[in-house]
Amino acid sequence: MIFPKWTNSLPLVIGLIAALAGGGVAAGVAVYLTPKYTRAGYQPVQPVPFSHKIHAGQLGMDCRFCHNGVEKSWFANLPGASTCMNCHNQVLKDDPRLQIVRDSAANNTPIPWVQVHKVPDYVYFNHSVHVRRGMSCVECHGRIDQMEEVRHDKSLSMSFCLDCHRNPTAAIRPVDKVTKLDWQWSTNSAEAAKLQEVNGKKFVHDWKVESLQSCSACHR
Amino acid sequence: MKNNLNNSSEPVTGRRYWRSLDELADQPEFKDWLHREFPVGASELVEDGQSRRHFLKIMSASFAFAGVATLGTGCRRPEEKLQPFGQQPENYTFGDSQYFATAMPTRIGAIPLVVKSYEGRPVKIEGNALYPGSNGSTDRYAQASILDLYDPDRARHFRHDGKTVSREDAFSFLDGLAKKFAAHGGEGLGFLAESSTSPSRLRLQKTIAQKFPKARWFTHDAIDSGIHQRAATYAFGQSVRPVFNFDKAKVILSLDADFLGGEDDAHNHIRRFAAGRKSAEAMSRLYVVESLFTLTGASADHRLRQPAALVGKVAAEILAQVMGGPASLAGWVAECAKDLIANRGNVLVVAGQRQSLEVHLLAHAINTALESTGKTVSLFPAAEQNAPDLAQLDLSATDTLIILGGNPAYQLNWSPKSKSTTVVRFGYYEDESAALANWHFPAAHYLESWGDATTTDGVVVPVQPLIQPLFGALNELEFLARVAGETQTSAHEVVRTTFGGSEETWKKFLFNGFAASSIESISDVRLAHSVAELNQLLAANNSVLPSASNLNVIFYRDAKVDDGRYANNGWMQELPEPVTKMTWDNAVLMSRKTARELGVANGDMVEISLNGRTVKGPIWTQPGMADYTLGLALGYGRERVGRVGAGVGFNAYKIFSGSYIASGATIKKTGETYVLACTQDHWSMEGRPAVREFNRAEALEAEEKHEPIAEEKFHGKEPPVIKSLYPNPLDEAKKTALHQWGMTVDLNACVGCGTCVVACQSENNIPIVGKDQVKRGREMHWLRIDRYFTTDPTRKNQKRGILSPTFDPRSDMNQSDENQQFAEWIDDVQAVNQPMMCSHCESAPCENVCPVAATVHDQEGLNVMAYNRCIGTRYCSNNCPYKVRRFNYLDFNKRPLTELKGTVYSTAMFGHKTEGELDIVRWWRDPNSGMRSEDEWDLIKLSKNPDVTVRMRGVMEKCTYCTQRIEHAKISQKAKAGGSGDVRLTEAAGNIPKTACQQACPAGAIVFGDVSDANSAVSKLKATPLNYAVLGDLLTKPRTTYLARIRNPNPAMPDYHEPFSTEEYQSQSLTKKGHS
Repeated sequence: MIFPKWTNSLPLVIGLIAALAGGGVAAGVAVYLTPKYTRAGYQPVQPVPFSHKIHAGQLGMDCRFCHNGVEKSWFANLPGASTCMNCHNQVLKDDPRLQIVRDSAANNTPIPWVQVHKVPDYVYFNHSVHVRRGMSCVECHGRIDQMEEVRHDKSLSMSFCLDCHRNPTAAIRPVDKVTKLDWQWSTNSAEAAKLQEVNGKKFVHDWKVESLQSCSACHR
Repeated sequence: MKNNLNNSSEPVTGRRYWRSLDELADQPEFKDWLHREFPVGASELVEDGQSRRHFLKIMSASFAFAGVATLGTGCRRPEEKLQPFGQQPENYTFGDSQYFATAMPTRIGAIPLVVKSYEGRPVKIEGNALYPGSNGSTDRYAQASILDLYDPDRARHFRHDGKTVSREDAFSFLDGLAKKFAAHGGEGLGFLAESSTSPSRLRLQKTIAQKFPKARWFTHDAIDSGIHQRAATYAFGQSVRPVFNFDKAKVILSLDADFLGGEDDAHNHIRRFAAGRKSAEAMSRLYVVESLFTLTGASADHRLRQPAALVGKVAAEILAQVMGGPASLAGWVAECAKDLIANRGNVLVVAGQRQSLEVHLLAHAINTALESTGKTVSLFPAAEQNAPDLAQLDLSATDTLIILGGNPAYQLNWSPKSKSTTVVRFGYYEDESAALANWHFPAAHYLESWGDATTTDGVVVPVQPLIQPLFGALNELEFLARVAGETQTSAHEVVRTTFGGSEETWKKFLFNGFAASSIESISDVRLAHSVAELNQLLAANNSVLPSASNLNVIFYRDAKVDDGRYANNGWMQELPEPVTKMTWDNAVLMSRKTARELGVANGDMVEISLNGRTVKGPIWTQPGMADYTLGLALGYGRERVGRVGAGVGFNAYKIFSGSYIASGATIKKTGETYVLACTQDHWSMEGRPAVREFNRAEALEAEEKHEPIAEEKFHGKEPPVIKSLYPNPLDEAKKTALHQWGMTVDLNACVGCGTCVVACQSENNIPIVGKDQVKRGREMHWLRIDRYFTTDPTRKNQKRGILSPTFDPRSDMNQSDENQQFAEWIDDVQAVNQPMMCSHCESAPCENVCPVAATVHDQEGLNVMAYNRCIGTRYCSNNCPYKVRRFNYLDFNKRPLTELKGTVYSTAMFGHKTEGELDIVRWWRDPNSGMRSEDEWDLIKLSKNPDVTVRMRGVMEKCTYCTQRIEHAKISQKAKAGGSGDVRLTEAAGNIPKTACQQACPAGAIVFGDVSDANSAVSKLKATPLNYAVLGDLLTKPRTTYLARIRNPNPAMPDYHEPFSTEEYQSQSLTKKGHS
């Protein structure tokens, strides 16, 4: 007898181990190599410790005060330092944390902010058409007004886009409430969901929202 | 990968359309080209024995490296910075394109433009539609000129004796020059300039003449259309400039005038000509007498092949008959003259700029005798041309010669190398002329300059800069102002001073892009010379008929490189020449008969001798040319030029001595052969009937009866309703879509100029591939223009002794008859041009075969490409009957310009170095760096349209109907609509997007729009009787349909054909004739 008896079960064991390992790899890829994991949660340190929590949350500034191109362009622009200085030449005017901003405004040199949200180059996402048609900032960026340092909140993957494009009813809201990140139809969540369903359907119908799913909507 | 050609679409009898003589004769080469899915070599990577398999073997190693690299850099994407303004500029939104009105100065006018700027860089040139009379079109040169702006080879430095000097040093030299010559009235100062229509330059020129009265100013243009003004001035005894109103004429006779192609201001001519041809009802008739085969000849209703020297004789005959003399010549000329007389008051006879003064005078005499001067030819007052002849330029007496633009060293074979003369050159390239200069000043592109110009209508237009000079180049006006020693040197101020007026009018001038015009044409003119006088002039000009030992040579303006100025423009070099379809070369054009008598064939190198000078070039037989005539395109064979233009073509200027028609040339075979990259057989429609032509009478009758005559029936019957097993998803998606896009291309308006091809290339980031790759059929143009030749079958059959009406041309197709190739009739051809791009079929054959669903329909009927899904199987291309899909074989966007001409990777694949570094090392450090050197790379990035993906290797691409423009229009409208349902684009609201080709077309042949709107222009055109789908019987339901070409032949002419051009389609579709 060359092979001991236990070797009879070897193929099964090998098969099982291979299946487990393969399954593990597949599961690992499915979880860790998706934008949900690779992108969401990204929170780089910015050159200026700007707090959205204070500005957008506590002070209640409208998103468009700084990101003023968001309704006109595909890109939601970052404000020039001169915009910051409109207030900060009075408020915290000697704060050392704002030295970079003051220099930028004085010398017209850019502040090197680190980009947080980015879709690939072959995706032609357009901010203006979303925010002017009742799609709130919060849908893609999360509760920015509660973030001290901006964090990549949603996956922004293709399936994330398609979820909404397949069912815009669930997210569409009155145009004037787009930048109100905490806005709800009602404080009662059950009622809010019901109102969203009813009004969402109405908006999608009345505004002729296309809910585009064809390639040409985003890829050119 | 062979195709089975025996399908139903092939014509059984009747006329055939063919693109090349090889196709007509069915040469084995052509058959081989045709039968392969992709041409020989198209699927092989390299020429020198490296197979695809071999390549994969080697590359697997680098793929392994790539894997390691990915691990090393991590999965997280690299950190990117967003850098906002320090001081936010007002009225600027990042990401929104801006549009500025400007103009491109040309030799005799200017093209008013609106240029799109993105992030401060100009990306696309369009015509200014606000300009009075304009349809917002441009010419191909204007479309391509943006690439010159980003040319890495343009002059970047101020140089003194070849050494780079600082800007300040160069300026102090100019200031010194001004002081030096001011002292003695400009004695010894010479200028050699190109023509310009700039009022500011004229003003500075006058200032210079005042300050330096002894300075001499010469003007030189290698391509000179000044003959039009000289002739009109001479004919009418006052300084006038003619403008030809092709739209107002009923009968047009071109005397060797290629007004739709090679003549200056062609895009305006095309617009006017098309306006007079569009409707069958009020359609003009065009007679052409010419020696070359030109675009004008291709548009002619009747064309007479004549050696250039005989054109004057034809004109004299016609004039004699118009003046009441008997018809001495029977046939063509006599009938043409009768037609002209019958349309008294509405005729337009125009002589070509290469023709002599006498011919021009005869043309004016005919127009005047037929009471058409002032109607079809408007005469505008013009400044007198009193520049001294260049022959008077005495270099020994010239202390300093300033060469302003142009390239005289190349165009005049001229070397003003006189030790005592300081040559100062102001030019865009460090070219042949720069080599002779002591001082070289880099010229700014017009998109970087302040300036002004006057259009041919006499309207002043501004030239506004869109960007700071990229390499600190200098503006022409600033250069001249400094030479003149003016205190005001800023070009902006110079232009502002010239313009005068209030700040309001100045702002309006810049905003609109043109000033209000007040120039009236002169109505009261009469001939200053009698007919007898003219005839005497003509008699004095005793031209000898050309023969095999006394060849005529015609030097013509090239449709691509102009006089040589676009030699380093890749888009222009790769654009198939509108008539010959040649890329990356010029050739010695001659007729079949001439080639046979001289014993030469395509690609044979010959040496042409003319007046003791010689040049070598390859032969190309061109159907439709006059016999014993050689056509030589100027502008090639540049010696000092950039990476793109190096080694392209041969220099015809070497035997050119100022006269565009020369006689007495002889040719000699050198025994060498030369490979030409001609695209006429590429993307062949394989003999399937793609074009339709009708005579005017047929078109009128069809219109009256509202009966479609061009549309193909399915084997003679109505198409069967096929209930598909799988329903077309588009049918369902259509129901909720806002628009359904469609297009018509009017073959009757299209003259084949090629502007759309360049516009498409510019808009859609289409790379150039180089000569070697074009030869392999890998050119990337999404939009091509198919040029078909036709011949009269009866004449053909008679010549061949076959008169049987049951003659089967298929036997003709399958024979390879040398005699037929060289038969005489082949030289009298007609041509049809057909722009061909993705038809966006509703049931698209390409979509069915894509294994990864990379090409699918969107809800608005676009056949879209998802580049990221494409894995490059090329099945779609194989299944496309229109052959409009292009495969990016070698990452053409990353290929360096120096690699464009030879074989790809002709040097060892891994030994190739870029900027002194092995490519693989470069790639290791930065996978995006490619083989392009840093300067190329930066500039190429600037030139790209940010709204369109730059496709990589291994991806199929094709016309998208400019989906980026559609999306932009839709997004704008939706953003505007906000919380309302007003999201549909309508023609009434004027927000339907224009495709790039449509926008650029001077003839307005391309119409794009919403076919679900019955009132849209495109829907209305699709409802006309002339509308048809190419290969409609395949039931692909293309969204792009064509409007049949209408010819307007004169029944009295000897070369009139009845019913002429419907034969092919009828024989193919076996339908009843519309009116029988």
